[in-house]
Amino acid sequence: MTLPILPTAIVGSYAMPGWLERLKTDYFARRISRHDLDEIYDAAVKAAIKDQETAGLDVITDGELRRDNMVDYFAERLPGVQIDRTSKKFYYDFYDSAVVTKLPMASMGLVQDFTFLNTFTDRVPKFCVTGPHCLTKRIRNQFYPSEEAFATDIARVMNMELKALVKAGATFIQIDEPYYSGFPEDLAWGVNVINTLVEGVDARIAVHICYGNRYGKPSWEGSYRYLFPTILKAKVQQLTLEFARRGGEDLDLFKEFQAPFELGLGVIDVKNTDIETPDMVAQHIRKALEVMPAERIHILTDCGCFHLPRDVTFAKMKAMVEGAKIVRKELGK
Amino acid sequence: MILKLNHLKVKAAATTQGVIEAVYALVEAGLIDQGQFARLQVELDWIQYKSNFREAVAATQGYNAFGHSLGQTAPIMDVHVDTRQVVPETLRSDLLRAIHRAQAGAEADGCRLPLEEFQSLRSSIVWTFNRFFWRHLLAWEAATGQGYDKALPGGSSDGHNPLAIADDVAEFLDLLCALQAKNQLPPEVNLLEIGVGNGSRCAQWIDQFQKLDQERGTGLYSRLCFYMGDYSQDTLNKARLTVAKHIDQCRFVQVDAINPIKSLAQLRHKILQVHLTNVYDNLPDEEVVRRDGKLYFVQVRAYVPTAAVNSIGGKYGIPPELFRDRVYHMLETGFDSFGGAAHGVPFWQELWAAMRMEERLVQLEDLPEFPFPEGLDAGRLEDILQDAPTDFRFHLSSGALESFIRTLPLLHPSGYMQVFDIFVTDMAQYRTGFFGPGKLDGSLLNWVNGALLKEVAQREGYNVNFRPFKYRANTHTTILYTTRRE
Repeated sequence: MTLPILPTAIVGSYAMPGWLERLKTDYFARRISRHDLDEIYDAAVKAAIKDQETAGLDVITDGELRRDNMVDYFAERLPGVQIDRTSKKFYYDFYDSAVVTKLPMASMGLVQDFTFLNTFTDRVPKFCVTGPHCLTKRIRNQFYPSEEAFATDIARVMNMELKALVKAGATFIQIDEPYYSGFPEDLAWGVNVINTLVEGVDARIAVHICYGNRYGKPSWEGSYRYLFPTILKAKVQQLTLEFARRGGEDLDLFKEFQAPFELGLGVIDVKNTDIETPDMVAQHIRKALEVMPAERIHILTDCGCFHLPRDVTFAKMKAMVEGAKIVRKELGK
Repeated sequence: MILKLNHLKVKAAATTQGVIEAVYALVEAGLIDQGQFARLQVELDWIQYKSNFREAVAATQGYNAFGHSLGQTAPIMDVHVDTRQVVPETLRSDLLRAIHRAQAGAEADGCRLPLEEFQSLRSSIVWTFNRFFWRHLLAWEAATGQGYDKALPGGSSDGHNPLAIADDVAEFLDLLCALQAKNQLPPEVNLLEIGVGNGSRCAQWIDQFQKLDQERGTGLYSRLCFYMGDYSQDTLNKARLTVAKHIDQCRFVQVDAINPIKSLAQLRHKILQVHLTNVYDNLPDEEVVRRDGKLYFVQVRAYVPTAAVNSIGGKYGIPPELFRDRVYHMLETGFDSFGGAAHGVPFWQELWAAMRMEERLVQLEDLPEFPFPEGLDAGRLEDILQDAPTDFRFHLSSGALESFIRTLPLLHPSGYMQVFDIFVTDMAQYRTGFFGPGKLDGSLLNWVNGALLKEVAQREGYNVNFRPFKYRANTHTTILYTTRRE
């Protein structure tokens, strides 16, 4: 499937409806069954896919609506991680989870969710996974001698899973590593871990690095300068960064360091319910074109839309699509 | 019948017996229905403030959303008795009168001049009086001969306590240094105080910061941007003079305390500390009662006893039939119709002292469009109440909640909010009494449901902690402090 120039997508998560939040919490309170919750998830994911397609996005995710947050979905599936299931009051809370033994090689079962996405869209599906660095910050390490060793072993297990995703038809995989910005001192080993994770995975790989989006708020502030030049060693095709909220100053880093990656350009602020206009989106894209050819730019939201209302998310996606069209027209594409 | 005695004081204990006897007598005389008696709840010494809006004996009955009786043979009824005010000899007749009034519903009797229809406390005229007080503060202070802060318990604001300020500055500077060490300190160190009064806390705070900055050699004073927010430009002008020597570090912004982000949107995620002292306890509020597993919304109607209408009206030459119009006219235009503040302020003060509120309970289920404050909805309230007492009355703290929710987005990822106020920190505290509203000079004073703020903040990504105010003995002030929730 060929993508148009300046293809559009959301970073990963779609708006989490209030009713689904309530039903997730009802599940934890044992008011609804797992079977019912799974049916609800299927319906919610189909709706999220349909919304993205209707808005005109070129690359489609499952909206990550089955996930309580970006950690627990993986912590529950990582073999060898112990979860205290009583540790959560509200679905969005993190489980108290710990690794107490070496992670065994075993399937995480992500293929099923990818297959569901792939079944219900004709467009390019993108499957997003939380990266090992982020997971080590939330899963207590009671076995490995260092965070790096723990993360490397997560990467080893997840590498097998990514290969299974490719086998099931995945061509586009995104790795989310928001904690780099809070722990820039980890970056050198973090990049090695990414390379372990993607070794032999035959798909377009994007790494999404933001300043956090927990509860729809940034967790840190600063400049992406800390990424360079270390990030250049990452064996991935795309860097997906937030620029809408933070401004485009850091775009120059791509020029300065001759970054070989595609740029996943965040043009939609997901921490603010104000809806961008297509012209604002076009402005962001034009600025990026000063440092990178259009063929290497993807048009994205800054981060996941999890905390935005659904109507706002839809309107923002439409603006993003229209903004990309304006620039494509200017480029004669 | 359920009897609640909140404070075991000698007089209260003695009155309790009298209340029980009086209620029994009314039942025996057939003046209280047997079914109603079984569900009757009598609460003694239920309100904290001696100066408040209640009669010595008040009864509150449940209604549907349209103000009609619930159509049961025995709708719920609460009776409140203030043992500090009640006179034993008239207790029986007071009780009987209160019950009859409650049963009569919205029909006003000849003993009261209503100033409004039954409505949410938040939209009641008492808050118009509250705003009027702050707008005409100078006139009130001139008439009483003392500053408004003298009316505060302790005679001054806890926000001005020098030890509290010193500790806060030291803690804040530690935070700045930690951020600087990680190369994450923004070029401008933004702070915000909402409700700056005469600016003396800000001045003390910046003095202390400058001193400590010099002592530690951190060199951060020049990076301070202290946003001083108040809804009144006059107040800001006054505060400007107080902080004159730090004027380059100060910014003055007109801020609606209920919606701070509206005028400060450019500072979203950029403020490292937000401070408020005794702002939330003076913001419009609503109250909810949980009885027999159902939620009831408290509607109020402000009134002036007819006796007071006659005496005050006689003194100021206002016929009873024009009394209400003159009250509204004063609230809209000030004291011109009284020939100026010299006559107008005493009228206002006497009127305020005489004003009362009656109330009724309206089933929340009948109010599908109930305007929950931002951050709260019926489902979320239900979740919050799961672990709360089953039979109690609590503040919704609508104004405080909206202010809080609309301030949090201003915080920098490492920033925090610090609120000095009178908080109910746990829903279970409502078991032991209900606090407010009280009258404080010409303004309202109401405790803030900190437990509710805490629950709502969690869903917004913040943990809320409460610290006792350790700098003054016997103070009711508590410090609300936010930390980011992971």
